[in-house]
Amino acid sequence: MSVAPLSYEWWSIVLAGLCSLAIFSFLIRENAFYRFFEHLFIGIATSITIMMTVKTFIWPRMVKPLFDLDRLPFPDGTFAEPYNNLNLLLLMPMAFGSLYYFILSHRFAWLAQLVIGFSLGVAGGFAFEGTFNEIIPQIVDSFRTLYTPGVDLTTTEGFFAGIANIVFTFTLLASLSYFFFTFKRTDGSLVERSSHAGRWMMMCCFGAFFGSTIAARMALLVERLDFLLNTWSCTLFPFISICTG
Amino acid sequence: MSQRRYALDFLDRLDQRIIYLFVALAVGIPLISGYSLPPTRMSTAQAFFDQIEKLSSTKDKLVLISADWGPGGVAENRPQTEVAVEHLLRRRIPFAMISTYALATPFLESVPREVIARIELEEPQQKWTYGVDWVNLGYRPNGFLMIQGLAKSQDLHKVLEVDANGLQMGDIPLMAKVRTIRDVGLFIQITGLVGVLNSWIQYFQTQDYRPPFVHGCTSITIPEAYNFFASSQIVGLFEGVAGAASYELLLNSAFPNRKPGEAVRNNTSIAVAQMLIIALIILGNVGSMTRWLTDRLRPSEPLS
Repeated sequence: MSVAPLSYEWWSIVLAGLCSLAIFSFLIRENAFYRFFEHLFIGIATSITIMMTVKTFIWPRMVKPLFDLDRLPFPDGTFAEPYNNLNLLLLMPMAFGSLYYFILSHRFAWLAQLVIGFSLGVAGGFAFEGTFNEIIPQIVDSFRTLYTPGVDLTTTEGFFAGIANIVFTFTLLASLSYFFFTFKRTDGSLVERSSHAGRWMMMCCFGAFFGSTIAARMALLVERLDFLLNTWSCTLFPFISICTG
Repeated sequence: MSQRRYALDFLDRLDQRIIYLFVALAVGIPLISGYSLPPTRMSTAQAFFDQIEKLSSTKDKLVLISADWGPGGVAENRPQTEVAVEHLLRRRIPFAMISTYALATPFLESVPREVIARIELEEPQQKWTYGVDWVNLGYRPNGFLMIQGLAKSQDLHKVLEVDANGLQMGDIPLMAKVRTIRDVGLFIQITGLVGVLNSWIQYFQTQDYRPPFVHGCTSITIPEAYNFFASSQIVGLFEGVAGAASYELLLNSAFPNRKPGEAVRNNTSIAVAQMLIIALIILGNVGSMTRWLTDRLRPSEPLS
């Protein structure tokens, strides 16, 4: 990859590499360089989100129709169609939503609570529908037959396919039994043993979560090192062997 | 009073920075050398591939790709998006990029354009055109409210209005026949963010229609994604970089002239680093075991 020195792209790559190195400097020890870039990243990410919301929603969907900025005038200053008075209705949700900023006032904080209450009500209603859409298929799928018909248990693949539902059902029941806290358990009882088994199953699950977390972190490291070794270093030092090869 | 010394005590006192150095070397050497190991074939990636193969390229239906990842997802979600986009482009199946995540904005445009530039080099006689083969619908704020709006709209042109570049929906040939969720033949959702896939699964459907869902996730969210895969709420899955690398194998088989991408090489680096971590965990435990065995075998030895 060749980039013209001191071009916009060249500066972008060089600065990106310096930012990455600044963050990696934390591996040696906590330092001001790292802290500065950490806060810089947080600020940039937040400002991009705000600006994109303004650019893609507030400006085209609210401000432009409200202030009549989306109608193109003819050269004589007239318009093909009159201003749509229904656009003024946008003021109502805007005004109501703006009450949220009263959270900064001790005296009028109750006005913000109106907005929060409304939001919670709407979110609760939507969540009711959403949760059913998400969870019900999973509950239905949990009712599996222990016997899988048509599977040849003499082959390795068939054997594992055959016992998959048994393992699934056992894990499900054992894990559920761990969360039975509504009656007294006695030592050696079925529920107590099942709950122990459930705990082991969950430990295996947490291990899988932890392993996948490490894999994800490694992927991030690979991407950054790939950039530093193959893009950044080749932009700064195009004559080195890995770049010319 | 000095502490008792053990044979492999240095393993317990190993400086973390030495481990970081080893990990950097393990990751860096395959990246510089270009050495790559063949990835494992994954049934989940095969299922993803089969879903795209099933689609017709008659341009009646659209594939909607929700790329809900930003700079933090470049490592895993970007290769996944690239291979999915490449497959769709090669099969001439029209698709639209969209996102509910603001930081994804630049990637919605750059990923398809870079993939097109690469495959146009491989197949110079073919061209892919914006508005005909693909469209960028851009970042859409308001999360699940927007998703519901898309799902329940009787005219998507009114909901979407313009694409990311300000082009009216009516002026985009690709969108001419796309009016409701029923015109979405496949929905691809790629993210590493918690809760985003859930929102799409919860709300991107009507009472009588739900497009098939396929999903790309980062390694960290694989266990959660499997819940949806097992219950057939998603019918194809990319499991981190390994999923993208496995998909590259499938693309290489389907399109023999294809040049290998970077997912396989990155997957090799991750595999080497993981092997190193396993080795370090074993070594660390050998140190602890040695300490335990020494105490058991020579319990009465006075402290020196």
